[in-house]
Amino acid sequence: MKQDYTLELESDNNFSVLNRIINILNRRRVRIKKMMAHENESDFRRGGVIMLLHTTADMMDRVKDQLEKLIEVDKVAFYEGSGKYVDLIEQVVDVD
Amino acid sequence: MDALLTKTESKTAAPVKKQITGAEVLLRCLVAENVKTIFGYPGGAIMPVYDALYHYADQLEHLLVRHEQGAIHAAQGFARATGKTGVVFATSGPGATNLVTGLADALIDSTPLVCITGQVFAHLLGTDAFQEVDVINTTLPATKWNVQVAEAKDIPNAVAKAFYIAKTGRQGPVLIDITKNAQNELIDEFEYKSCEKIRTYRAKPELQQTQVQAAAQLINNAKRPYILAGQGILLSEASAELKAFSEKTGIPVACTLLGLGCFPTDHPNYVGFLGMHGNYGPNILTNECDVLIGIGMRFDDRVTGNVSKYAKQAKVVHIDIDKAEINKIIKTEAFVHADAKEALKALTVACNKNTHAEWIDKFTKLNGTEYEKVIHHEFNATGEIKMAEVIHQLSNLTKGEAVVVTDVGQHQMVTSRYYKLKNPRTHITSGGAGTMGFSLPAAMGAKVGVPEKQVVAVIGDGGYQMTVQELGTIMQYKIPVKILVLNNNFLGMVRQWQQLFHGKRYSFTEMENPDFVKLAQAYNINAAKVEKREDLKSAIQTMLDSKTSYFLEVVVGKEDNVFPMVPAGAGVGDVLLEAPANR
Repeated sequence: MKQDYTLELESDNNFSVLNRIINILNRRRVRIKKMMAHENESDFRRGGVIMLLHTTADMMDRVKDQLEKLIEVDKVAFYEGSGKYVDLIEQVVDVD
Repeated sequence: MDALLTKTESKTAAPVKKQITGAEVLLRCLVAENVKTIFGYPGGAIMPVYDALYHYADQLEHLLVRHEQGAIHAAQGFARATGKTGVVFATSGPGATNLVTGLADALIDSTPLVCITGQVFAHLLGTDAFQEVDVINTTLPATKWNVQVAEAKDIPNAVAKAFYIAKTGRQGPVLIDITKNAQNELIDEFEYKSCEKIRTYRAKPELQQTQVQAAAQLINNAKRPYILAGQGILLSEASAELKAFSEKTGIPVACTLLGLGCFPTDHPNYVGFLGMHGNYGPNILTNECDVLIGIGMRFDDRVTGNVSKYAKQAKVVHIDIDKAEINKIIKTEAFVHADAKEALKALTVACNKNTHAEWIDKFTKLNGTEYEKVIHHEFNATGEIKMAEVIHQLSNLTKGEAVVVTDVGQHQMVTSRYYKLKNPRTHITSGGAGTMGFSLPAAMGAKVGVPEKQVVAVIGDGGYQMTVQELGTIMQYKIPVKILVLNNNFLGMVRQWQQLFHGKRYSFTEMENPDFVKLAQAYNINAAKVEKREDLKSAIQTMLDSKTSYFLEVVVGKEDNVFPMVPAGAGVGDVLLEAPANR
């Protein structure tokens, strides 16, 4: 059954890294409801993405494994529902 | 070698500083990575690199192919035959996009490549300049990693990372796109440092003993265990470890298409080739084993057939270096996320000595049924020559010791079934991508990589014509590769499906072919054609005995089919030994 998931990802902030992340979702037809990408305030060479996705639990497991394979990606986590999405966005905005 | 494309700047009271171009920096990096062979094709945006290459002919052998697709398949063949990373040069725009098929093929088949493409000047990026294509985004889904370099100083680090990424973890293709200004730019001489670690990249998982013990417990308690061996065995050079594991535990081994060669076909524990056109026993007994052990394989749909009917009774143990493959298709009871060699060593220690003679005998009996119903007829046919007997002869005459490089289609399945491989890295084919046109350039690259071995390209008449231009490369560099075309004047596998599943409507699969012998001769390649069975053996022997490249066309039955076959959508247990009566 499909539901909302919040995806949190940390990576190097290279050209095309966002495309690589989106490509993994697009290829598997995972719906992106909301998204925020950011450089880290303390180090512009690192960054992150916070996404609200709508898909199945099985697909989230697969997407996580694929994202972790990306060379520049450091850390991937996901949470059920949209509540965490708002929290994470606020954390980034507060830092900025 | 002294820097050739240098500029010396002398300042008062300062040491003399030598500078070299980005193009030469690249070549020095390749030399430092122990690259000896490059397959490529020049063009405007990579001309500085080719200009520098002119001076490096004593250190870097470059083979000028006839099409960039030929270059990348040649590099794939080279990599698969040698275990080294294949290197490709191409220019921007169409030169780079012509690599895409090979990149996708290498990605799915885990082949280590480093491809260097030239790119327009950095200030022209995004202006739709001549031969400008967004190569990074075009190749992004078809590479393990890619990077654009716009300054010469960044070239060494990019090359070091590229070789490290291509050859570690689950191996794969990497592309470096270098703008022309970066190739021309002068920078100070440098000291090359190979890459040993990337902060965000986990190249090799650490073997977890808890995973090994959980897997070993299932294996030790199994009554009917069964190993599916994939290319991961070859990539981690674990053939000896697989043999030791199988011999200690008594577990039968079947190979996937890309795993062929990782376990000797004449070993008593070898039970056959898996998959859609695999052997009868390995397919049927997938649904009777109690523990299924997949090693370095990814449960491809050509192996599993209909997943909902696949090994439902079995507890599955999956060993793979790529965590994303574990539980992707088949849910596992236990897994070992590790390099196959390390995992097999640990499992051999953790598993009990055992025998499974009765269980192996079941494979033998089912394979005997296949022999009676299929193979016996293929080898003792009258009338038109069968593909199977050609490969059977080739296998006998080479004692199973040649490197066979196949394309995609019926001839590929027949070769996989009937060529009795004995050694690792002697079977090269396009597996996951199923790329027609792969074989001829891949065989060429393989022969360049292992010149001491007999290399035979086995190709259908359709795939041969997709990259036939590489006969020019074979001619120019006198590459003594043998080319065996099985000609049925059809796109045979598509025709077989049209016959069996589309009411025998042969929609655009029949081909009118040129005179292949004359075509080869036009490239100064000795050539012959066989149409009669009595001439077959001597014709193959003549081909094998040739010291130069040789082309042999064998005219085979137009409407021969490959059986056994697991029909699309069926389970492996539904494997057919012959066509249904009404087809």
